[in-house]
Amino acid sequence: MSVLAPFGGSPPPSPGPVIPRFGGGSSCVVQNRQFCGAWFVDNFGSRFAPRLVEHIELTAIAVGVGMLIALAAALIAHRQGWFETPFSLLSAFLYTIPSLAFFELMVQVTGINRFTAEIALVSYTLLILFRNTLAGLRAVPPDALEAAQAMGLSRRQMLLRVELPLALPPIMAGLRIATVTTISLATVAAYIGAGGLGEAIFDGIQTGFKTEFIAAGGLAIALALVADGLLVAAQRLLTPWARRSRRA
Amino acid sequence: MAFRDGTQTAAMRPATTAAPIAFLDVSKRYPGRAEAAVRDLSFEVPSGEICVLIGPSGCGKTTALKMVNRLIPMTGGDITIDGRSVNATGISQLRRGIGYVFQQIGLFPHMTVEDNIGTVPRLLGWSRARIHERVLELLQLVGLGSEDNLRRYPGEFSGGQQQRIGVARAMAVDPPIMLMDEPFGAIDPITRDRLQDDFLRLHREVRKTIIFVTHDIDEAIKMGDRIAIMRNGRLVQIDTPDHLLAAPADEFVADFVGADRGLKRLRVWTLSDLELDPYSGDTLPSAPAGTSLRDALSLMLTAGATRVAVLGHDGTAMGSVSLQAIAAMLGPEPRAPAP
Repeated sequence: MSVLAPFGGSPPPSPGPVIPRFGGGSSCVVQNRQFCGAWFVDNFGSRFAPRLVEHIELTAIAVGVGMLIALAAALIAHRQGWFETPFSLLSAFLYTIPSLAFFELMVQVTGINRFTAEIALVSYTLLILFRNTLAGLRAVPPDALEAAQAMGLSRRQMLLRVELPLALPPIMAGLRIATVTTISLATVAAYIGAGGLGEAIFDGIQTGFKTEFIAAGGLAIALALVADGLLVAAQRLLTPWARRSRRA
Repeated sequence: MAFRDGTQTAAMRPATTAAPIAFLDVSKRYPGRAEAAVRDLSFEVPSGEICVLIGPSGCGKTTALKMVNRLIPMTGGDITIDGRSVNATGISQLRRGIGYVFQQIGLFPHMTVEDNIGTVPRLLGWSRARIHERVLELLQLVGLGSEDNLRRYPGEFSGGQQQRIGVARAMAVDPPIMLMDEPFGAIDPITRDRLQDDFLRLHREVRKTIIFVTHDIDEAIKMGDRIAIMRNGRLVQIDTPDHLLAAPADEFVADFVGADRGLKRLRVWTLSDLELDPYSGDTLPSAPAGTSLRDALSLMLTAGATRVAVLGHDGTAMGSVSLQAIAAMLGPEPRAPAP
């Protein structure tokens, strides 16, 4: 590995048996079995909960900022068609950079910290969010726009009352994909000291203590499922009209 | 499904307004095209009348309509509403005062019926209670009046019902004029007929000034107080349906209204428009006084009779009408418009 300390401020792993670091006397921990449930429960509050919170923050900031940038870009591309190609190319290019390389690269610019990780994570959300938002705006039925225009709505009123609400289903679909991928990708961000569940995964791998990285990985999966479920619920709440059609 | 009876609503609703529309040498020329889409179009629509614009596709009828609410900017001449140029009013203010109904309906799929109809009232800052009351009243007017419908979404209604909601939305703030661009064009013939009847009944109540675009001559004759026939961007003839059918200005108009224009003309009148002969007591086919002359003629031909008994409201014969009397209506001279 590089000169970077992958675990932020934590002390380097000591050689020898893993047991002392995990303080447990239980036979499961001593024998380093596949998964020690009791140890996980005992250590959830101290070891995992803070990482989980960090992970949620990392993801929420990345998706939130990504959505704002993608929305702004999609609105520009919707009005000025030429803007679509350059922004698509840029976001597709960013998307192809291998994540570890991207993180390492950004460290040279912005250092080892959360901000660096966020730059990379935001970049990865742009492609899907931009494409879906623009597709949503373009799929707004032209007759609804003509009606809005004929009723004397201003451009701004049309955007806020007609275009954005109608573009919501594809935007939400994009948000779901972006959120799930970001949760997964953010585990790698621990490599440059961004914190989150990735830190526990790296730690578990480094020390060889299976329960730790399995628990952290499982939490990341659970987080992705819960986040996706919440977004589905939000979508249903925000677009009640989409499910209620006589001629479905 | 019928629109509500006029006598019931008249007391509830504030008196409605209407305003005359005038086209003054209006032209529309698209850049890069040699032919103007609309050329020197001049005509007037008196307050409270329905003026139908008709002609073959590409004749400029929809362009003419859309220049009234400036969805298409005109390149020459002027259009006035109540004497005031449409260009002299702010575009939003102008449009909020003009009801617009078109073939694709354009309801907002993500809004409830109440929010759809309440769109312009909301922009104008009406209170929620006032909007709710107005929406319910409009839905009753178009035959969909029930509290349940307010919270439904457009996708839950049939095409005909959606267009009723479209008409209600266009009338939300009681605009003095309405523009209707083939409003019933995408609706099946039976529903369309009912919508036309209901709309005419509604119009007798609210008396808006209406410009109505269609390519269907039967619809034009049925709906129009006046019909303007256009061709290649020009007005060819503007007349009452009866004048148009009795005296087409040229071959194009005669062609357009159809070889059966005599029969079409018979649809303009009913048996009650004729002077009745006494009823002799013979066995005759019979029809209510409100039957159109066309249907009465059909009845006679089917029954092999030369006379038809005319029934009053109570179902007893008031008199009779002969085949000759009907034929006499079709002289070259146009009649006074049916009341």
